[in-house]
Amino acid sequence: MKIHKSKDISAFIPTASMADIAFLLIIFFMVTTVFQVDKTSVNLPATWERPTEIPRGAAFVVLAKLAGAGGEELVYKFSAGEDTSQIIPTGTEGLYFEVLNITSTNPLHPFVIKIDKTVEYKLVDEVLDSLRRAGAQDLILMTEQRTVSS
Amino acid sequence: MKIGKKKDSVEIPTASMADIAFLLIIFFMVTTVFSATKGLDFKLPKDEDEPLETETIEAVYIKVMPGGGVLVDQQPMNLDQILPYLQPKLERWPDKPVILYTVPEAQYGDMIAVYDVLKQAPKQIGLDVKGIAIPTYKEIEQYKQIFGYDPFG
Repeated sequence: MKIHKSKDISAFIPTASMADIAFLLIIFFMVTTVFQVDKTSVNLPATWERPTEIPRGAAFVVLAKLAGAGGEELVYKFSAGEDTSQIIPTGTEGLYFEVLNITSTNPLHPFVIKIDKTVEYKLVDEVLDSLRRAGAQDLILMTEQRTVSS
Repeated sequence: MKIGKKKDSVEIPTASMADIAFLLIIFFMVTTVFSATKGLDFKLPKDEDEPLETETIEAVYIKVMPGGGVLVDQQPMNLDQILPYLQPKLERWPDKPVILYTVPEAQYGDMIAVYDVLKQAPKQIGLDVKGIAIPTYKEIEQYKQIFGYDPFG
């Protein structure tokens, strides 16, 4: 007796829901995306605790060690929150006036402190003192998430 | 003679929709930043504030040395010894002030490591260190002038 061969079933990937998945992903990324106003590469200190999310519109105060013509040099940068950060050539005094511009209208405006972990603390103290004199109150010390391997 | 009219079906061309959707997904995936946008909160005192009258003798003084060494009330300690030392003091006085002083030559990362330990207190010992103060060098100078001694030795 002959045994009939079963009919071949054509193989295909169901793609009907692909558009739904794609748009779901788009909405997710649109909602969660935060465009950083400061893209300076900084060697941030790592901490276990990082309870505070940086709010949209927060101003950035950056103190970074960047490679320059004469080796590594310290750079002060500032962003009011809406635009990209700009170098402040006058250092802490320049920062003072930039911060004062903001705190004169809103003393509770949040300021993100983004400082290289290898910077000497006396320079950090000058930055904090400038902010305090300019009336800033709400600071967020930006850190990286510390992990077991780090 | 009748002229036959052909009806064109109306439709939105959707052939390129998937391409556009995936292009947008890739754009948002590349630009999204999740991890680097968090930190530790810290409140600065108002500049015009009158100096608070605190019982300075009751405060815990933490001094951060270059290289990451820590002195707590003049005693050298490791980072993991700070919270067990603070626990009985905080149980007795939950608002106990902790003054964190960092030597000028120490690194910012050394100070943040100690500040991180203090912020972990609710998880580690179930108590919150509410009164963390990080005085600036100018404030310490003023303190020395008023009280006539350096609390950080």
